[in-house]
Amino acid sequence: MKPCLLLLAAGLLAGGCATTVNTVERAQPQAAPSYVADKRVVTDNSLAATFRVASVNQATVSGNLLKVQVAVENMKSSTKALSYKFEWVDASGMSIDSPNETWKQVRIQPRETITLSTVSINPRAVDFVLKLKE
Amino acid sequence: MRNIRFHQLTLTAALSAAALFLAGCETAPTTRTIDAKGPEALNTSSINSQDWANAADQLVASLLSSNALERAPVQPAVLAVDRVINNTTLSIDTDLLIKKIRVALTQTGKVVITNTMGLGERAVVASEAAELEEMTTGKKQKLKAPNYTLYAKLIQQTDREGSKTQNTYAFQMSLVDVKTGYTVWEEERTIAKLSKRPTVGW
Repeated sequence: MKPCLLLLAAGLLAGGCATTVNTVERAQPQAAPSYVADKRVVTDNSLAATFRVASVNQATVSGNLLKVQVAVENMKSSTKALSYKFEWVDASGMSIDSPNETWKQVRIQPRETITLSTVSINPRAVDFVLKLKE
Repeated sequence: MRNIRFHQLTLTAALSAAALFLAGCETAPTTRTIDAKGPEALNTSSINSQDWANAADQLVASLLSSNALERAPVQPAVLAVDRVINNTTLSIDTDLLIKKIRVALTQTGKVVITNTMGLGERAVVASEAAELEEMTTGKKQKLKAPNYTLYAKLIQQTDREGSKTQNTYAFQMSLVDVKTGYTVWEEERTIAKLSKRPTVGW
């Protein structure tokens, strides 16, 4: 009995007091986002199990510039760091080089959902690719 | 006699071990090319290449999302880059931020950036070119006044607690309508770096 209690205590000590994020929002949202049907390529199953892409939506800003917003949730019970990078593609499928689209890092609290967003600086951009890395 | 020899051997072994320990496992220095914008870039307590790009991207995204440039009296809007104040302890070239913003805004096609006002050196070159043109052609050159000026400030705040140091860098930017003097867009983005000093020195 005693070893079991010791193991339990050690487990609790190692795990720390991780708390998850609770949220409150309007029951009937007034916003009407323009959701994007997405295609996902998973090469890292651990990453896919840690971070869930909840939604992808887009808008047009400054007249003709595409803005993309991706909601990502940390599924784990500890704070996790996520690296991400957006890439833009023109109508002919060519990649558009953007000077400020770099790998960026965010830290997401346990069970928190955050939004990653960017605006294309090139009006020719019609599509995007979001790369995720742990 | 045998005892003295044993002690000598022990001492030699101990000294050799200490020498190896202090020397460590020496490896030849290597240099490789990395992507300055990639995850391999060194993360330091100051502002690194990724931070500059990140700040520039967030500020540009905010400016474009505000649609402030769409309300300009002419399209594309004429923009002058005003002072950039560096209030950090870092000795940095503020073009690391401003150039990225200029490049991004120019690529949108929403603005043209005038060099006849704003940053000193460039403004002098532009006005000298206009004077030379006037002397050559005999016609007074018309310079377009900017619709907006862009003003930026970098601030650093350092907080310490025990062995932890947090450096928070604030990137503040304002877009001012030249005619009215109103600020039509403002943004502040911060990047915080938490460093921990090792508790046992070597």
